[in-house]
Amino acid sequence: MDEVADTGFSAFIALSAVLTGYNRAELHATGCAQDYWQQLRQVTPPAILEELLDLGPALDAAMATDPEAGERQARRDVLGSEKLGPPARSLIQLWYLGQWTPLPLEWRRAWGASRFDVGRIISTRAYKEGLVWDAIGAHPMGAKQQGFGAWALDPPQREG
Amino acid sequence: MATPQDDEVSYDVVIVGAGFAGAILAKQLVAEGKSVLILEAGADRGEDWRTYRDYLDQYFLAQAKTPNSPYPNLPTLPSPSVLDITAVHGTQPDTNGYFVQQGPLPFGSNYLRAYGGTSLHWLGTSLRMFPADFEMRTRFGRGVDWPFGYQELRPYYEQAEWEIGVSANAEDQTPEALGIHVSEPDDGKNFFESGYDYPMHPIPDSYVARYIAEAGDGTPVATGVRSGWGGKPEPGLDVVDIKVSNTPQGRNSTPRHGKKIMVAGREREAFEPRGGTGAFAFIGQRCEGNSSCIPICPIQAKYTAMKTLADARANRTGQLQIQTQSIASQVETAENGCVSGLVYKRYPFPGVPQYELRRVRAEHYVLAGGAVENATLALASGLCRSSQELGRNLMDHPYMMTWGLARDPVGPFRGPGSTSGIGSFRDGVFRNEKAAFRLEIGNWGWNFAAGAPYSDVARMVGEENLFGRELRQKLFHRVQRQVRVGILVEQLPEPSNRVTIDPAYRDPMGQYRPVIGYDVSDYSRAGLALAHDACIQLYRRLGVENHTAYNPSDSGYFTHEGKGYTVFGSGHIVGTHRIGIDPKTSVTQPDMRCHDHENLWMVGAGSMPTIATSNPTLTLAAMGFMAAEAINRALQ
Repeated sequence: MDEVADTGFSAFIALSAVLTGYNRAELHATGCAQDYWQQLRQVTPPAILEELLDLGPALDAAMATDPEAGERQARRDVLGSEKLGPPARSLIQLWYLGQWTPLPLEWRRAWGASRFDVGRIISTRAYKEGLVWDAIGAHPMGAKQQGFGAWALDPPQREG
Repeated sequence: MATPQDDEVSYDVVIVGAGFAGAILAKQLVAEGKSVLILEAGADRGEDWRTYRDYLDQYFLAQAKTPNSPYPNLPTLPSPSVLDITAVHGTQPDTNGYFVQQGPLPFGSNYLRAYGGTSLHWLGTSLRMFPADFEMRTRFGRGVDWPFGYQELRPYYEQAEWEIGVSANAEDQTPEALGIHVSEPDDGKNFFESGYDYPMHPIPDSYVARYIAEAGDGTPVATGVRSGWGGKPEPGLDVVDIKVSNTPQGRNSTPRHGKKIMVAGREREAFEPRGGTGAFAFIGQRCEGNSSCIPICPIQAKYTAMKTLADARANRTGQLQIQTQSIASQVETAENGCVSGLVYKRYPFPGVPQYELRRVRAEHYVLAGGAVENATLALASGLCRSSQELGRNLMDHPYMMTWGLARDPVGPFRGPGSTSGIGSFRDGVFRNEKAAFRLEIGNWGWNFAAGAPYSDVARMVGEENLFGRELRQKLFHRVQRQVRVGILVEQLPEPSNRVTIDPAYRDPMGQYRPVIGYDVSDYSRAGLALAHDACIQLYRRLGVENHTAYNPSDSGYFTHEGKGYTVFGSGHIVGTHRIGIDPKTSVTQPDMRCHDHENLWMVGAGSMPTIATSNPTLTLAAMGFMAAEAINRALQ
């Protein structure tokens, strides 16, 4: 991997952390980060990808100092953007579900269609590492089982 | 048609289908020293751990995680899929999938044509029928009576429970313990033989089931209320209290030790649970809570027919041959009505519509391919014509769901699909007018009802414009509160609910596709409506925010007394070749031997004259033991 791509990857992780609400370590721990990075690059035209990645580290830093301001900025610059919003939303779902969600038709018309922009579960690992299972306080159905009788215990506790 | 090549070897018994019924028959026949051949249409053997692991991977990668999704679906050997179900319009049948659907409602159930059959993706619910269920005509003037009663089937239930390995406490499962107001006072007497108990301790009730029981037990439901009565029960009819109970399940918990248990009159040693089948299958004995029983238990803690088939093969008293990639095509009969041979198509390459036509001979022949395939094959072979009942009286449990958000986290997406249910409405005098039903408490949030948690993510990201921390928190608080209750209602045997064949519809191997006409009668609709009301009353009492929605565009949508409901199939396919005394009104004798063909037997849930409110597997397994006894006798 050359240096440029490497910088891109860490910006991708920074952006992903902002969008998912999981920190870098948690994202790396899925073991799926490289696959998702590859998927995003295959689907997004280079210029748009660059714009997204440029925003990532700054947003991540903003989030660290003032989360509310960071969130406002993310909405304004990324999620509220007609150009950057759709790939960002597909990226969130990719992390949460291990599954690529195809971009909307209007977006494809405006910015170009990729033959990799099809709905699919990236890998068996991606299915099991979907962040949604942790977020809902459970485990991926069919994997990472909790043990006999765990279903009878009190629900997990979460703050907030 | 080409001339079939005769097999060199002949057998005592040839069985069509390696599923629940076929496996039990094979095991019991081999134990008595018989030679048995099983012909299985499916292509591979999931008992091999590599194949089974491939099934699991296919499940992980499937975007629509339907019951059949992990398993092979060859273009040449299609299985019915829930994804093929659409509304049936006008006069044209719906031919989207394997079934040709004539309507008016689509038949929403599926099954699996593979080694192990539908046991690969059953939930594991192992309920007995009740005494009243065998006497529907006598007691309620509905449907038909069975040729035998509960007490005659009871020892076979015991055998079936020990074969499958059912986890439950007998004392929790009597009609009285379930809170049922039985239709006759003596029904609870000797429901279990004294000294009998299930082979394993119960699977613990899920947190959500206990949550519902805590505030919901005792919710009164007037089973006789009709609209217009102002909510007051009709005189003489019962008010039944909701009572949550543990469900007997065919999945491994902890074996019962230190108690002598009599099973069908024989004292049994402590039960030895079986884990995975095949070599290297040393893992997975007790349920570990994988939360994926349907479609696949990764560790095979749930019973599958592959376990019984493995036992049968290991028994050297007799001889068992299992031949896959062999589609039974034609049952040939001689002039005296006896079956003279079974013609089958053996295909060398899965998915390629090429085959060798072969014929096998045996003393006795058994069709064990499930209610739909049994009927299709028998119809294609021109069998069982004395009655007009072959293929008719098709039944299922129309499956309706209600769902909502609880006030507190209830810990969904953990453990077996359902550990508990509400059995209080499984019998009662109200069955004169409306169908009995069972409520099943789901443990996987709105997974079945709305595709949770995928749909929650898609909606929160796509429509609610959430991301980051907030998305994470809201997902927890929404999904953790998801409650779902399933309703399984009984159907009556009706001649117009039926499987037929039509030369216009064949599969790529030239086999007839099942043509199905199906509807849900007013009797069942009334039961569904009452069950729906019971759920709503329960939700009111619990403070559950109701999110149930039935949409006129749903394929299983119908109306009853001005209200709309949506049903799905539950895969409980019953009743196309029912047993009975009279050859004019039944297809087989009480022991499942065909009235018209002395050496042909039809087994499985198709034999059941009525469906009751119990998932049919345990009953079909019990009847399998009964049929095996009769065939062993016939071979002496």
